[in-house]
Amino acid sequence: MTSTLPAATGVTVPAQRTAVPRTGSTGRTRPPARLRSSRPDLILCGVLLAAILVVQGWNIADYPTLSDDEGTYLAQAWAVQEGRGLAHYTYWYDHPPLGWIQIAVLTWIPAHFAPESMTVGSMRAVMLLVSAVSAVLVYVLGRRLSLPRWAAGLGMVLFGLSPLSVVLQREIFLDNLAVMWTLLAFCLAASPSRHLWHHFGAGIAGAMAVLTKETMLIVLPAVMLTMWRHSHRDTRKFALTGAVTACALIGISYPLLALLKGELFPGDGHVSLWDGIAYQMTRPGSGFILDPDSGSYGVLQSWLYYDRVLPLGGLAGALLLLLTWRWSVTARALAGPALAVAVLALVALRPSGYLPAMYVLQALPFLALVLAGGTASVAHAVLRRGRHSGEEKRYATWARYAVATALAAASAAYVVPRWYDGDRTAMTADANAPYQAAARWMGTQVEDPADTRVLVDDALWLDLVHHGYEPGTGVIWFYKADLDPAVTKTMPRGWRDLDYVVASPTVRRDAVDLPNVKAAMEHSTPVAVFGTGEDRVEIRRVQSAGGAR
Amino acid sequence: MLTSVFIAVVSLVLFWMAAFTLWWQMHAWRTPEVLASTRFSRPDGDGHVSFSLLLPARHEQAVLDHTIQRLLESTHTAFEIIVIVGHDDPETTEVARRAAGRDPRVRVVVDTHGKKNKPKAMNTALPHCRGDVVGVFDAEDQVHPELLAHVDHAFRSTGADVVQGGVQLINFHSSWYSLRNCLEYFFWFRSRLHLHAQKGFIPLGGNTVFVRTPVLREAGGWDPDCLAEDCDLGVRLSSVGKKVVVAYDSDMVTREETPGSLMSLLKQRTRWNQGFLQVYRKRDWKQLPGFGQRMLARYTLMTPYLQAVSGVVIPLNVAIALFLDVPVGIAFLTFLPAVTALVTFVFEVVGLHDFGKQYGLRVRFAHYLKLIVGGPFYQLLLAGAAVRAVWREQRGRTDWELTSHVGAHLAHTTREDVPA
Repeated sequence: MTSTLPAATGVTVPAQRTAVPRTGSTGRTRPPARLRSSRPDLILCGVLLAAILVVQGWNIADYPTLSDDEGTYLAQAWAVQEGRGLAHYTYWYDHPPLGWIQIAVLTWIPAHFAPESMTVGSMRAVMLLVSAVSAVLVYVLGRRLSLPRWAAGLGMVLFGLSPLSVVLQREIFLDNLAVMWTLLAFCLAASPSRHLWHHFGAGIAGAMAVLTKETMLIVLPAVMLTMWRHSHRDTRKFALTGAVTACALIGISYPLLALLKGELFPGDGHVSLWDGIAYQMTRPGSGFILDPDSGSYGVLQSWLYYDRVLPLGGLAGALLLLLTWRWSVTARALAGPALAVAVLALVALRPSGYLPAMYVLQALPFLALVLAGGTASVAHAVLRRGRHSGEEKRYATWARYAVATALAAASAAYVVPRWYDGDRTAMTADANAPYQAAARWMGTQVEDPADTRVLVDDALWLDLVHHGYEPGTGVIWFYKADLDPAVTKTMPRGWRDLDYVVASPTVRRDAVDLPNVKAAMEHSTPVAVFGTGEDRVEIRRVQSAGGAR
Repeated sequence: MLTSVFIAVVSLVLFWMAAFTLWWQMHAWRTPEVLASTRFSRPDGDGHVSFSLLLPARHEQAVLDHTIQRLLESTHTAFEIIVIVGHDDPETTEVARRAAGRDPRVRVVVDTHGKKNKPKAMNTALPHCRGDVVGVFDAEDQVHPELLAHVDHAFRSTGADVVQGGVQLINFHSSWYSLRNCLEYFFWFRSRLHLHAQKGFIPLGGNTVFVRTPVLREAGGWDPDCLAEDCDLGVRLSSVGKKVVVAYDSDMVTREETPGSLMSLLKQRTRWNQGFLQVYRKRDWKQLPGFGQRMLARYTLMTPYLQAVSGVVIPLNVAIALFLDVPVGIAFLTFLPAVTALVTFVFEVVGLHDFGKQYGLRVRFAHYLKLIVGGPFYQLLLAGAAVRAVWREQRGRTDWELTSHVGAHLAHTTREDVPA
């Protein structure tokens, strides 16, 4: 039997958890060292998780509308599964490939047993898994940042049940996976045992997040801040350098991949990482977010259409926490998420930047946490501030509880009806009937799919692949007909080499800038139309096609 | 295809080796609690254990007296110093006898073995020990006056059979290799040894090691034929379940200096490696009860050789990945060991910073640079020592490779028996 000196004999471990200084006040439940052995936490988290899964999972395939990006990532995941490389068209370093490699892994088993299920609608189901993990991590993080149990639960509800979250988290977006990794990084950074390898793991998880969606890079300083506050003075330098090293080394694997493929720098006849980054950095801006004429303003309005509570309330919460930094324990404990919100908000405010519609996804968990934290802060102020044990008159205590109840009731009265409407729409509306009908038509009414060439948007691409069209050159992502030399080479006669165009809203919108697609649209007539108005999906037969073949 | 499989297997094996070594090296800093537990606990002022401190000295008249004086300044109340000198070394004997004349706590034992080495000298002194605990120091050690009181308390509060105190090379600024050598000691005594103590398999260091006298006598003292008698003793004691406690306090460590030249470092390392190999072949570690303990023993005792191999193979592996036409996935795998090596490098840099802080030493930018640039060359040195050790063991050359004594003023730099 050998052992090191027991820690208890004399040298007391300086209990300097600088991260979560606690006041001696009563109402705060101390986060247990091991959440998984705390029954109330498990029950609360489990119940909330079940509710979130029901709301997010019900009707997941039919709402919201299939997005082009979902189709892109899932098709690339399909290409990975099929062993066709990192994409079925040339992989051009638009994003690091780790995101859809993960989607490929997640969808591997269902796709193996039912290959035809590898379509956007059905594979949204795997996003439930990601949402579930993220929601649990939000709760764990809330507890690790020493939020009381109810506030951590509130954070989880805000994150999982806001109509904005329900809509966006259902979709196969890389951001959802990146958020999961980022939350994992935060949880490991705030590990109560302050273990060196947990912090090292936080670095790895941070790198995974960035390699899943590169924009997560801007959230990493907030992970560092959390780690700084949660590490111990004596081991901090090892923890932090370990995390940074881990993050950098994993991150380097992306340029290394490009290097090994000989595609790090631009050159004739091949794509390169350099060009990919240059493209992303020079994407035309969508204008200032508060300018009503800009594209960014439209994106902002589309978020606020689904929910105002989480984005605006979260921002207000972050502001409150930043302002009360000096006095509020909660504010200091939530420094990491508050910083994440601040950074993401500042980046969104760049006047020249490009603001994608899913941008807000990265902010959702942090908005939820700071809003929950702000609520906890207010609750604490109302119920406990200035109170010393036993001294207070009874009516004063009653008044405190009355105020708290009134505030809670007012917020519930504002939030619940709006969220009920939003979530009911998400659980009942059928937004994808036109797409499904179009896919069915293409599968049943076209005689020889294997020899038919058709332009579709990415969301329908896999459906047609399963119907027997030739992936890549038979069923074509519409914009590749103009932008990918490997595809245009197979269309020497331009639009005359095509048979059909499935004109979804996306195709109609983007055709303006794509000559081949535009020409195909102009020289075709609808043979079937599904849905009405802006959202209709037309199947257009190219006029010359019949004669030419 | 075969090349790919081969490269993948080699890469993964190297990766796991490096990862485990790194994991163990960083043991002390895993959590603040672990770090706090590696220190000595504060003594309660009560002294109950009496010490016999062995001080083998050979051609060390220049430093011996100072060491004895410093040991005599210890705050502990019950100890004797037994200086062991050779019958063929009148100068050192003279210094020892004079010290004994001045203070009754100092005694001199003369070792009359024809072929001399450190374990034989200490075994000669063992029957003369009157204390409850035998402690070992080297003639050039600087021992902290309060160390004995702390060790006393550690024995009483933990019920240990063996207490190993920290040993630290300090002169990191002397040369590029002394910088790395100091850091090796830092990671070994500050961190890795504690893991060994916890796991129940520990190669002890050569000094600042304290063993209960009956335990030591029962074990038959030190193995006179082993080139790493310190390591061997630790392995034998822990293999039969003796409780070993390790404590490291930066102000309580025994301070030493690195070998004076690259050649003597090489020889010292060769001796350790050969010693480790001998201990491995003695198979005492096979008595360890746990499979994990035996694996740790196997791995630790073979470390010099694995180090030698990985030092050569890692760069080779990366070169293959870059210049040979292998699939991208396989090429990625070949970088794994290099990644671990890089992480180790970074932690070494941080370790150097911590070392400077702990000892109040000023570490300059140039030192960090030396640490990084010197890394591969030090690796080469280690590999050389490992190869040399295998070769010597194979040829049956098991003598203590003491370099010829060119002069008394150099005496203490020619000793090769600084412990691991």
